[in-house]
Amino acid sequence: MENNNTGTGSCSFREGTLSACAPLAVPFVPTQQSAQPAYEPGQALVRGTLFPGLDLPFMNMVNKGNYTGTPLGELMALDFVIKELQLYLDTHKQDREAFETLKTTIALYEEGRERYVRLYGPLTITDMAVADTYTWICDPWPWDYRDETED
Amino acid sequence: MFVYQKKLQYPVRIKNPNPALARIIITQYGGPDGELGASLRYLSQRFSMPYPELKGILTDIGTEELGHLEMIGTIVHQLTRNLTIDQIQEGGFDAYFVDHTAGIYPQSAGGTPWNAMSMAVKGDVITDLTEDMAAEQKARTTYDNILRLSDDPDVNDVIRFLREREIVHFQRFGEALRIATDRMNQKNVYAVNPAFDR
Repeated sequence: MENNNTGTGSCSFREGTLSACAPLAVPFVPTQQSAQPAYEPGQALVRGTLFPGLDLPFMNMVNKGNYTGTPLGELMALDFVIKELQLYLDTHKQDREAFETLKTTIALYEEGRERYVRLYGPLTITDMAVADTYTWICDPWPWDYRDETED
Repeated sequence: MFVYQKKLQYPVRIKNPNPALARIIITQYGGPDGELGASLRYLSQRFSMPYPELKGILTDIGTEELGHLEMIGTIVHQLTRNLTIDQIQEGGFDAYFVDHTAGIYPQSAGGTPWNAMSMAVKGDVITDLTEDMAAEQKARTTYDNILRLSDDPDVNDVIRFLREREIVHFQRFGEALRIATDRMNQKNVYAVNPAFDR
């Protein structure tokens, strides 16, 4: 998904568009022009946004983690891209390209999800349809501390 | 309705318990600008919203905030696991401990229980979306302040993720407000409130 396309218009991807005239006495945030450029899913998760133009870290300290080495991390990254595109499309429903990216990401997520559930257990109760016993309540729950050796 | 997914939005793995830090982070669970207030604010405001984009963005951001509430609860839980009484006293965690042991209770860093007075549902399109933009900025500032106070890399990694989400949400609420005002009376956007006057 990474490319150097700076979107439409004369503004860079770090800037949004404003209408030429705007009503007085209303807060006005520029509209993001495009869902491109975009980070790869793993990097998007680590940076907390899919969009480099919105990536504005405090004191320029950035996360350097890499979670895509594990099936759960891979799934989180794809789920995160879906979330980001969902919020983007809520205010950009006419963006055909972003909608197509959403659909391909969902397809990848569904594939990864199926693999994950087979290896590690259910994500939602309906995953019990393919389970041999009632594993829904089995540890670990998401808040349980696990050190790296337990993965 | 809601379906629970048995995973976090972002990994939380805090190696070192630290009750002093837990006392601060709890404010993003149940403090005035925390994730509980954020989720309730958006998921409540959406009922009176007149346009599909606004119903969508409030539902989708409100749902994400519930995931953030779970992440903050997870940080506090992991920061307070296996504590000794000495660690509790040295970390200044005794006042919280006497009431809640190592349970997760929605309160501010100063100890005030979560209060609906810290959020608003005004039933007016411009008012509610302006409140939401302010709420995202207040949460961002709180996360900035946590990053100033904490030197735990495992905690700060998660806090930086959550802080960045506030910036993205601010952008989306700003766009939502613009979509709303574009549909309103262009000579006077305050002529009526489309959440009430049909």
